[in-house]
Amino acid sequence: MKSDPPPHDASVTIDLARRKRVTRPDLGAPLGVATRVAAPYVTMTRIAIGRLARHRFARAGALVLACLALIAIFADLTASDLPIVCRWRGSVYVLPNVVRPAALAGLDVDAMRREAGPDDWLVSALVAHGPLEKGAPDEALRPPLSAGHPLGTDTLGRDVLARVVYGARTALVGGLSASAVIVFIGVVLGALAGFAGGVVDSLVTRAVEALTAIPTLILVLVVVATSPHPTTGTLLWTIALTRWTELARLVRAEVLAALGTEYVAAARALGTSPVRILWRHVMPNAVGPAIVAAAFGVASVVLLEAAVNFLHVGLPDTTASWGEAMGEARAHPEAWWLVAFPGAALLAALVALNLVGDAARDALDPRLSGVVDTSVRE
Amino acid sequence: MLRYAIRRLLWAIPTLIATSLVLFLVTTLAPAPPPTGDPLLDEPRRARFADLPRFFNGAPEDVQTRAAEAVRHVAAEDARHEDAARDLVRLGGAALPYVLPSFEALAPDARGRVAVALAPVAERMRLEGRGDLTQPAAAVSFWTEFWYDRALDFTPLALERAVDRLVNHGSDLRESDLVALDTYALSAVMPALASTTDRVALERLSRLAQHATERGPVISPDASPRQLRLARADWSEWWFVHDDDFVALVGADRGLAMVTETRYARWLERAAYGQLGLSLVDGEPIADKLRARAPLTALICALAMLLSWMAAVPLGALAAWRHGRAFDLASSAVLFVLYATPTFAVAEVLRRAATGTSVSGSRVALAVAALVVGSMATLARWQRTAMLDVVRADFVRTARAKGLPEWRVAVLHALRNALMPTVTLAGLHLPVLLGGTFVVEEVFGLPGVGFETLRAIEGHDTAWLMAVVLASAVAVTAGLVLSDVAYSGLDPRVREVLARRQGGRTS
Repeated sequence: MKSDPPPHDASVTIDLARRKRVTRPDLGAPLGVATRVAAPYVTMTRIAIGRLARHRFARAGALVLACLALIAIFADLTASDLPIVCRWRGSVYVLPNVVRPAALAGLDVDAMRREAGPDDWLVSALVAHGPLEKGAPDEALRPPLSAGHPLGTDTLGRDVLARVVYGARTALVGGLSASAVIVFIGVVLGALAGFAGGVVDSLVTRAVEALTAIPTLILVLVVVATSPHPTTGTLLWTIALTRWTELARLVRAEVLAALGTEYVAAARALGTSPVRILWRHVMPNAVGPAIVAAAFGVASVVLLEAAVNFLHVGLPDTTASWGEAMGEARAHPEAWWLVAFPGAALLAALVALNLVGDAARDALDPRLSGVVDTSVRE
Repeated sequence: MLRYAIRRLLWAIPTLIATSLVLFLVTTLAPAPPPTGDPLLDEPRRARFADLPRFFNGAPEDVQTRAAEAVRHVAAEDARHEDAARDLVRLGGAALPYVLPSFEALAPDARGRVAVALAPVAERMRLEGRGDLTQPAAAVSFWTEFWYDRALDFTPLALERAVDRLVNHGSDLRESDLVALDTYALSAVMPALASTTDRVALERLSRLAQHATERGPVISPDASPRQLRLARADWSEWWFVHDDDFVALVGADRGLAMVTETRYARWLERAAYGQLGLSLVDGEPIADKLRARAPLTALICALAMLLSWMAAVPLGALAAWRHGRAFDLASSAVLFVLYATPTFAVAEVLRRAATGTSVSGSRVALAVAALVVGSMATLARWQRTAMLDVVRADFVRTARAKGLPEWRVAVLHALRNALMPTVTLAGLHLPVLLGGTFVVEEVFGLPGVGFETLRAIEGHDTAWLMAVVLASAVAVTAGLVLSDVAYSGLDPRVREVLARRQGGRTS
């Protein structure tokens, strides 16, 4: 499907995605290539990507997300209790804050600065504190721009910048992984229900209805409260195992619609095996809902994770979380920086994710794209 | 319409069963404390029916099997005979009809051991002339004679009559008659305890129960209504958990018990009869607590739903009607940001903005406002999309061409049709709204169900948590059914299609 279009071919046939020139295949090409691009068509993927790329808000959302992803990936360079590079007692360590060499155990930047010999040097991260590093009591609730803490500290003397930065990692990693599980379960069960029908269909439909009736936030709260050793993983699994219903419903509908089409009937008449029909002819229809569900899934996981941590229901504080930081501010109304910075990060992530999700839905749903939204957004 | 509503209601039953299964699996995730062998320490385990199989019980236990088991251990004098003897005393009078008639079948020394093990029961029954029951020979002859004299008292009919007489014309003599039946009387005393309102009879009954079980409160005649309620709840909860120690499964009951004596069935029974158990924190009956807290939560939720509807429908419809114009662009942008903002953040900001106001009414207003922000944005966005679908429809153009005034076309022709998808989605929005209510209650410190739930999480009150998930699931299912029925009320076509199709699914 990816062949270089001949440069000066006048026979442009279709301009569905505007600006995407699709041309007749080069008839002089070797046979194997020619058969692959025999028909002049644009794939749905291309149309969708084209639409997405022209979508101004989608671009903005993606940019914000990319920034957050970079922050999450390079969190160790922004805030860490150990230096980025250092020479200590005769040997050079690169990224000791990630590798955690045994020789530096028990040390942090402050201690190393104090005890540094003449040959030792170090380059510390922007903030010389990890997200979990608690400060002395007098270090608690420092306002922003105080020494060593650009965004201040929280009630336990932990650096707010470090927590915001590592919170991005928690949110994005958690959101992506839970969303992956959601998409997997949703697509598999939805396809199974639509394709198998009968008892399987009824079972899946009942499960979908049953799970829809349980408020996710309440369920997550209860599971976290009743499980013996709750972790962020417990929370993510609970969300992932209960939020696939919407996607399964959509995929099932797509599969049922596709099964009624003439191309599936044709494939059947040709003796195509059910597995191949499902994979080649039916499932591509489910890609759109799956992508949209993935984008919104990440948003809803990030939101739920923040809400649960905001309520402080006894998750261990082994991970930094935006919601948890905001929850701490409830007891200290004067500490506006505890709400403002993590809140801004959370809002930015949620707005960006929803923008991308909205744009993906517009781009992937041909019914909506022409009529409804493009003219408004462009 | 009515036919459809009934049909939809019936189809909610399988959904509710599936929901209950999911909730059951979730709420039994938490492992019960491991068995210790000590009945007192195992009490929390028992209260959660952790010893029962999950879905099928091949050999349900009752007083008969338990007594036979205990007798076997005592007779054989094996490693567990001390526990078994204690068990036998706990089962008490209820076990006698299954132990004493088969005395003859035991070997003489085994018979002696069992008879001696039963001695504390005789003491509890305050029987006259019992002699030295620590001597096997004396004990055996005592119990043999006892059964010869009193077997007739240990029948359901005699028991019922005795309890009836005690309730209606109580006297010390009648009470001591029942004391002599020991735990055998419980199966009639417990229902009487729950139903009678006579304070004196209540005192006698609860004293009987306490004497036989060596636990629980006695209801004094001048107890306050609250004390009375708590004591009754305590007894009914205890009986709910322990009745299989004192009641024999006869005939069909035994077959039925294979299904009902399981963890799932007992859990479901709790839910269905409102037997939600006692709070593990303060001993209050969960059902009472729920009744006390639910109105506030329901009020907040309903107000938020109503207000966000009232705001969202015109807003979304107008934005779509003015499609692409300044109002549409501005409102879409604002709604989008509001839509993405988490409810807890809105609530927190509102709380900070309003510090100083401490009247509870204004706190409720703020909580509702915080909820409305998010759900209004969601509903308005749906309403706008639905309206946009309709705006270009042929019938709208026709209405315009007929020369109808613009507002008439917009409201009567377009909006009426654009309302339907929003109605369905509103049902699906209910779980989100309910979750949001929990959060705002916590933020504004409103003593509703959500606030109590957060306290229950701190206190590990699993009984309350289970009840809350169950109650919210039932509420949401009711909401879904309602929204489906409302949808069919708006659109007769849907009604026909849905009624024909199973389950009334709307997607």
